[in-house]
Amino acid sequence: MSLRTLLHALAIASLGLALTACGGGGGGGSGSSSSGGAGAPAPPPPPTIAVNYVPIILDGGPPEIVARGGAYNEPFVSVTLCAPGSTTNCQTIDHILLDTGSVGLRVQASVLNASLLSALPVETDASSNPVGECYQFIDGYVFGSVRKTDFTFGGGQVAGLSIQVIGDSGVFATVPTTCSSSGGSHLNTVSLFGANGVIGVGVTTTDCGLLCAGSLSQGSAKYYDCPGNGCGNLITRAASTVAPFEQLPNPVAAFSSDNNGTIVVLPTVAAGGAATVTGTLYFGIGTQSDNALTGATVIGTTTSASPHGAGLITTVYNGQSLVQSFIDSGSSDLFFVDSNITPCSDPNLKGYYCPSPPVNLALTIQGQNNVSVSFVQTLNSAQPLLTTTNSAVPGTGYNPSNNPGFTNTPSSFDLGIPFFFGRRVYTAIEGRAAGGVNGPYVAF
Amino acid sequence: MLTASSRETRRCVLPHSPAVRKIALGGALVLAFAPSLARAELGGHYDSVMTDSARLQAKVRSVAGASFTIHNLALPNGGEVRQFTRADGTVFAVAWNGPGRPDLRQLLGPRFDVVQAENSPSRGRFRRHALTVQRPDFVVRTGGHPGAFFGLAYLPPSLPAGTSEKDLH
Repeated sequence: MSLRTLLHALAIASLGLALTACGGGGGGGSGSSSSGGAGAPAPPPPPTIAVNYVPIILDGGPPEIVARGGAYNEPFVSVTLCAPGSTTNCQTIDHILLDTGSVGLRVQASVLNASLLSALPVETDASSNPVGECYQFIDGYVFGSVRKTDFTFGGGQVAGLSIQVIGDSGVFATVPTTCSSSGGSHLNTVSLFGANGVIGVGVTTTDCGLLCAGSLSQGSAKYYDCPGNGCGNLITRAASTVAPFEQLPNPVAAFSSDNNGTIVVLPTVAAGGAATVTGTLYFGIGTQSDNALTGATVIGTTTSASPHGAGLITTVYNGQSLVQSFIDSGSSDLFFVDSNITPCSDPNLKGYYCPSPPVNLALTIQGQNNVSVSFVQTLNSAQPLLTTTNSAVPGTGYNPSNNPGFTNTPSSFDLGIPFFFGRRVYTAIEGRAAGGVNGPYVAF
Repeated sequence: MLTASSRETRRCVLPHSPAVRKIALGGALVLAFAPSLARAELGGHYDSVMTDSARLQAKVRSVAGASFTIHNLALPNGGEVRQFTRADGTVFAVAWNGPGRPDLRQLLGPRFDVVQAENSPSRGRFRRHALTVQRPDFVVRTGGHPGAFFGLAYLPPSLPAGTSEKDLH
């Protein structure tokens, strides 16, 4: 489409401006090829992050979720937020959902200390009004303020990172109709959201990209002008991954190094599950000795220019090419349609699969790079979700169609956390070289 | 089932391969590029689709098949909305894909309230599931992740004769 081409041209132009404006600022190593004549030494790469990893834990989640029987197959990490410039007004927040299926750091307002919340500056727009944001998830949406914070994640740090404070008060208390009309619930409590927040480290550099930068259209994210009478009008926000930020960046993309992607490593979990499981999230791909792209098959995903959206791959299952498939650490189950697999009979497990014995699903994944890989994924009965409080339950599957009869929709296989058990799963960020291959891709 | 050939059909929603769509539908191909958009909610009449042209700034491309017509709306955000109309103009299905979930209140009309009622927050052990409705007279399926959402809503009693869910993509 010509409009999209125009948007790209505008965005590329603005990216160039941003690089120029930030030249020498020590940002990502992508830009500065300007000053070297022949024979001039290349500028030294930024130092890598000394501790380029954080632990992942699968446990029962925050107290509100434990009280409901406990989370399952939700990978949690901790982040530390400080008031900009402060080393004392800080808070470490646990039970942040690690999500390779979204982008941006979002925290429930209710878990922030009042002293910290009040010291996190709200972003302002061209009218000097506060900036609000709406972001869609599969089961609803979150709305709140966009604020700046000094962010620490393992050894990685970003000063002045834009984050969303979900369920913020004041002018953000009322959700605009253009936000809620996309359907589902406002996930503005820990109990509704299932976590204290989410850190989205998906395949794009920012949460809206060119869609919010060039026009008032939007993707999953919408940014709002929020004068005293509340948030109403959509506004554009630049897609910068260096300060000053406007959109929420992928926090890893905003690191000064090790910023081309992530690796999620979770152990194998025995059938029946485990009470808790720990793993590791690495920053960077092919930047250090611990994050090499070895022994993995690179599967290119759709880009943010795709009419279907970014991060999609094709899964061939039962002879069907499911073109809107994806790998997602924020999904607790395998979501796919197969009416030949026994569903659970217990009404508390409506929609889940309960095969007995387990079923070996033969899957082939195809990338946009024409690479394909075949493997077997075991589908177990979801019964342990009811009979245990295990927080790591392998092989759980759910039929999103809920239709006992024939159906071809959705054309998707969502490879959630059961896929991650026993694997190193790479997520490479769009437009960045990662281990010698340009993102976006997934690899395992 | 979604076979390789039906994948081609999906692809041909894109403007560059209309011929495949023509074959797949076995009917006349009608292209009507018009700066129009859709207010036509599910169950409404397509006439209203053309009344609110500025609102979504969508390009409409209509493809007539043997038993229904697909109106492809290319949204400025790169996403697509497809409205399916019967010969009498009734909008009996709507499908979408793209970086964001569209305004379902607009697309589904009063049935948006059904979606909301049937997808109230889960009870019991916490889980996160896509919006869905499975009623005899109203079906909704959705999926995806932030940045790549898709969905389908349709009215089973209004499906043209010989048409089933597998044809709606």
